[in-house]
Amino acid sequence: MGEIEKETPGANGDGKNLSTQELTLSMGPQHPATHGVLRLVLELDGETVTKCTPYVGYLHRGVEKLGENRTYLSALPLSDRLDYISSMANNVGYVNAVEKLFGIEAPERAKYIRTIMAEMTRISSHIIWVATHALDIGAMTVFLYSFREREWLLDLFEMTCGARLTVSYPRIGGVRNDVSQQFLDSLYEFTEEFPRRISEYETLIDQNRIWLKRTKGIGVISAKEAMNWGLTGATLRGSGVNYDVRKAFPYDAYDKVEFDVPLGTEGDVYDRYRCRMEELRQSNRIIRQCIEQLPKGPILAPEASKFVLPPKENLFKNMEPLIHHFVLLTKGPLTAPEGEIYCGSEVPKGELGFYIVSDGTGKPYRMRVRAPSFVHASVLPRLCEGGLVADVIANIGTIDIVLGECDR
Amino acid sequence: MNTKKIVKTIFMTEILQGMALTLKSLFSPAVTRQYPKEKRQPFPGFRGQHAFVRDAKTGKEKCIACGLCGAVCPSKCIYIYTKEDEETRKKTIDRYEIELLRCVYCAFCVEACPVGAIALTENYEYSDYSREALYMTKEKLLDNWDRFMAGPKGDEYFEKFWTPKQQSFRAHDDQAVFRPKGSNGAARPEADTRPEGVK
Ligand code: SF4
Ligand code: SF4
Repeated sequence: MGEIEKETPGANGDGKNLSTQELTLSMGPQHPATHGVLRLVLELDGETVTKCTPYVGYLHRGVEKLGENRTYLSALPLSDRLDYISSMANNVGYVNAVEKLFGIEAPERAKYIRTIMAEMTRISSHIIWVATHALDIGAMTVFLYSFREREWLLDLFEMTCGARLTVSYPRIGGVRNDVSQQFLDSLYEFTEEFPRRISEYETLIDQNRIWLKRTKGIGVISAKEAMNWGLTGATLRGSGVNYDVRKAFPYDAYDKVEFDVPLGTEGDVYDRYRCRMEELRQSNRIIRQCIEQLPKGPILAPEASKFVLPPKENLFKNMEPLIHHFVLLTKGPLTAPEGEIYCGSEVPKGELGFYIVSDGTGKPYRMRVRAPSFVHASVLPRLCEGGLVADVIANIGTIDIVLGECDR
Repeated sequence: MNTKKIVKTIFMTEILQGMALTLKSLFSPAVTRQYPKEKRQPFPGFRGQHAFVRDAKTGKEKCIACGLCGAVCPSKCIYIYTKEDEETRKKTIDRYEIELLRCVYCAFCVEACPVGAIALTENYEYSDYSREALYMTKEKLLDNWDRFMAGPKGDEYFEKFWTPKQQSFRAHDDQAVFRPKGSNGAARPEADTRPEGVK
């Protein structure tokens, strides 16, 4: 006993032999607060983070490469598995890119349905975000409440397409099947109820002094820097940059509905939180307008017969649809034009872009996915370095990443 | 610091408001489901474990061994082995196997099948300790049909999910559109319009 005490530096009470040492801390890939399999190597000087290095790739499945070996039709489920909590929005982004490449236009009704679905996804993704973000910071109740609302939306997804999470619902040139009256009624009821629920979340955390202390002035990034880092979505808009793909390059029915793009001013964790909460309200507004305006009409483009499966009733009546059916399923659309295309869409996390190079065969020559989560993960060192170790958690939460999309 | 803010700081009004909300929720009915005891009935058309349609007339599978389901399958997990039937000289399936562990339950196989020979059932409780249990053969698939889909359920399934239909390509009267609350007798479901799948 006595000997050990003597040998401990500084134990003699004068503090002269004290020394400090940087500590390297590996956070993740299984840490509950890293939202998946993100690994951060933190170098700590006491409580201060001096260096932060994100390591990604634990969930790499080679989605881009897999896409090259699938026809345009059957590559669709790959996009579900990018950001698996907002699969509907990814699907919509993918089919929009392919439609742009082929020059197909989806019918009006299909566009509205897609917009509704994409906005439902935004709501369900954002409420998961606020739930986990608040849980990380220490507010548990929001987590429980928001999953209650999410369940409703997932039930509605299931009602329409038979799956709750990985939906694979849109199709090139339209959507898989029509929505039912029960779906529309129930969703409209949801939009009436939901603003009240948002206020509930806000009652819990919005003005809470602990929440404010943990989020205000943390992870500040200026508008210029945010743009230079290539941030998109609410992570960018929290810094006050007005860029939203839905407004800048409207697709589907976004040019027919009215909505505002909420902007922050400070660019800190709190402002990004406010932006997303406001986006929940805006999404709700978009869904309401879409339901009210939803026209009757085809849900698959009749003129895009080269790319859409023929109606099942016709298969054995004529030889032509049957041959077309076979060719489309085995070889993909044979009349694909050569060329390349980039098509971005606003998914809950930011701008999801598909860059497709076509060599005229039924499969993409190259399918590059611009994943917002990957770009956002790269900004983590900028946000964390110089801050406290406890704020690393807040910073991971605020950039809203899903590692399935980051690693692809 | 103005008076209002001081009062707020001392009496922790925002925290009390939050607590009031949680207290209120404490007395509202629970929304959780006690899963293994309370089972949830999925919606029609749920994309669960596969089944092979048993033709009511012949008592056999409907499959014509065209191989389209295997071709379209994004995860390439359907294996089809064909043979020639000795009597009829028709191509039939010898073995039909689905490796469910790789399946992504996208239902593309259902859509691809030209004769409606394969379906996804409402069975979602198929986890198991062995890989064999999730390697489906023709017999197991037919058995699934008898267990989960036989009768009107199966017909309804194809009615709804064997897409696309001719009516997907045009406007028709049955299409759902917005109806405002209480408008011209078209009764909106009362009070609780949450989906009815919850039992
Ligand atoms: S559901 Fe999809 S992944 Fe599964 S067997 Fe059918 S086509 Fe393949
Ligand atoms: S299940 Fe259908 S698509 Fe698959 S081989 Fe049989 S008939 Fe063809």
